[in-house]
Amino acid sequence: MRIAILAVLVLVGATPLRAQTPRPGSWQEAVRRLRDAHVVHPVRSARVAASPTAIIAESEPNDSIRTADSIALGDQAVGVLNPARDVDVWFVDLTEGQLFSVDVDAQVLGSPLDAQLVLFAPDGRTVLAFNDDFDGFDSRISFRVPASGRYFVLLSSFGQNGGSPQARYALNFGTVTCTAVGTEHEPNDSPGTATRVAIGDSGTGEICPVVERPAGDVDYWAITAQAGTTLDLAVDATSFGFVGDPILALYAPDGTTRLAFNNDFIGSDSRLQFSITTTGTYYATVANVLGFGDPFRYTLHVRTIVPGPGDPITVRAENLGIPLGLAVGSTGDVFVSDVSGNRILRISTAGAVTTFATGIPSPVSVAFDASGQLLATSLAGGVYRVTPQGQATRFITDGIFPFWIAVAPDGRIWITDVGNRSLRRYNATGQFETSFDGIGIGGSGPGPLAIGPSGEPYVSNGTEIWRLRNGRFERLLTDGFLIWAFAFDVAGNIYAPSPVAGTLKLFDSTGAVLADPFAVGPDAPQAVAFGRDATGATLARVFAIDPQVGRLFEVNPAAVRQRGLPGYVTPPFSFDVAAAGLLGAGGLSAADLQYLDAVGNHNGRYDVGDFRAYLRVLQGSNR
Amino acid sequence: MIRTRWILALVAALFVSVSCSDQPTSAGSEPGTLVIRLTTPHGDDGALTFQVNGPSLESASVNGSLQLFTLRVNDSTLVGAVIGTLANGAIITLHVPDGSVAGAYTATLREVADREDALRASLAGYALTVTR
Repeated sequence: MRIAILAVLVLVGATPLRAQTPRPGSWQEAVRRLRDAHVVHPVRSARVAASPTAIIAESEPNDSIRTADSIALGDQAVGVLNPARDVDVWFVDLTEGQLFSVDVDAQVLGSPLDAQLVLFAPDGRTVLAFNDDFDGFDSRISFRVPASGRYFVLLSSFGQNGGSPQARYALNFGTVTCTAVGTEHEPNDSPGTATRVAIGDSGTGEICPVVERPAGDVDYWAITAQAGTTLDLAVDATSFGFVGDPILALYAPDGTTRLAFNNDFIGSDSRLQFSITTTGTYYATVANVLGFGDPFRYTLHVRTIVPGPGDPITVRAENLGIPLGLAVGSTGDVFVSDVSGNRILRISTAGAVTTFATGIPSPVSVAFDASGQLLATSLAGGVYRVTPQGQATRFITDGIFPFWIAVAPDGRIWITDVGNRSLRRYNATGQFETSFDGIGIGGSGPGPLAIGPSGEPYVSNGTEIWRLRNGRFERLLTDGFLIWAFAFDVAGNIYAPSPVAGTLKLFDSTGAVLADPFAVGPDAPQAVAFGRDATGATLARVFAIDPQVGRLFEVNPAAVRQRGLPGYVTPPFSFDVAAAGLLGAGGLSAADLQYLDAVGNHNGRYDVGDFRAYLRVLQGSNR
Repeated sequence: MIRTRWILALVAALFVSVSCSDQPTSAGSEPGTLVIRLTTPHGDDGALTFQVNGPSLESASVNGSLQLFTLRVNDSTLVGAVIGTLANGAIITLHVPDGSVAGAYTATLREVADREDALRASLAGYALTVTR
């Protein structure tokens, strides 16, 4: 499930880039895919991995684990599935680390058999792999052996009702042997056998044919990198005309901790950047997405790039599942939604991770409301509200497909609805007020949402950010990459994550680029939020989450220009102070006047409309 | 030095008198009353600010469905804000020493906002009139 959701995230990220302009409704499509987590595997071609050294005929009865026939690697088993519902079981002794292959020849021999294969673990019960059609109706499984032992292969007809005297088959037992191509040195399927490649150089290799699960050929490359450099890895395959879809990952010197991942940076080719904080040997892997596709040759380019001012990043928390949204609470703790774990996690300022709330189906976006409770949109529909004690209840139930959520300075709740591509507004208690049609902004909008300095909502349509002003959408900026959940500082600067590019970008309040990249260390940043101190005041600290690697990280705070927008704040003064200021008695600072205008009609000055809105805020806060 | 203290005291007294409240600003012993009527071209007014000028202004009030906030600038000038569902007709009651001299008082609109908090760009068609 996790892999499937990640794959969907990758697709979400990749789709707009491929066309440079998002397809209409792709947020909705992405969310549906996230929720349903369906993965479709195409039919593929293959090449046979082993040639038989002995031909072993079946010996009936061999219909069970207990009566399985024996076969050895390199041998070919032959038999007939007869009568109908007949199954044949074979066992083979395998060694840890082998890339085992069992391949059916039936249709290719003219047999009417539509075969299917199941691989069982040594316990005879656990299903390790399954395949129906690989070469036409003929099946094949390849499998990386996790532990030495006796494994069982069950052959049956599709649906187990196709046996007949003519249902002949041959089963080829062997291993997948990948031939070294280019500069790679096979085997290079582990950190210990990785092929070395220097920074500034390129490595070339080939990904062998494999079946869909589990993944088969993986090429490891060892790269020695110095602290303070930012690695830029790019794999070219489809640009050479190959059909394969390469994925690229970077592992820490321990060989197992994944630091970064990318799929489909440009077209199907992948690229990632990562800031190195500790000198050492790191491992890049090239494989085929979800194991499908034809074999392909590739070139891995290993470079360093100049980091952004927000580098180096600091990882603040790990193992967060698939975090998609984040919000910072009034004491500085960070709250993230784990879409795969149906939970909200809380990360303390010291980095301790605890489960804050459970029972929210696939939570996506989170924000704190005017009463200090956490709101979370759900892929299952609706918005949940979580008390400070972590009790979650359904809160807003209308709308079609609530996606992203934000709370304005006046306490009003804004939600993008990808079901009908609208922006919906609710009062602080969750009562629907009005809706704005967002189809006209094009792309995939409206998607991720944030409240700007003047209290107006801003939305991403994929590659553009639009704001709602006086009931009309206005385009603020256009970028070449997908823009996910961005955040504002008090000067209106926009910190925007681009998961496909693997960077954060910084724009000013007019949409002009201030830093691109702002930070390149994160893998695929998806959402950004400003930190707060123990009093709830916003800080000049920027946090971001990365669902690809399940991490919360912080960019270099020295590069953050201003503190974050406060969002909803407890009303700072009583009604009589606000009234006196309105009527000319003074007593309000310039910041107070700006706040009151943001609460109300944000026309640039404090007026009676703003005062009317502020009264509602006060009534909402019982002040 | 003594003179300076008096001046400071006078300034302080003036400052204290500039106060605001959502209650009537004061209660005359036997006040007369005048009515301020609103004329509006819109059907969705939600708030306004106003100014009243006239001799010896005491206080102002509104009916229970509206909220009133006033600031007495001096003895003859009072400014205020009314929040609520506004419509044509009487909206403010003015408490004065002599209710028979309505002509001595004038009321002017400063701002009007609709029920979505948007400020009216123009006050054309609006009027406040003081009547008995």
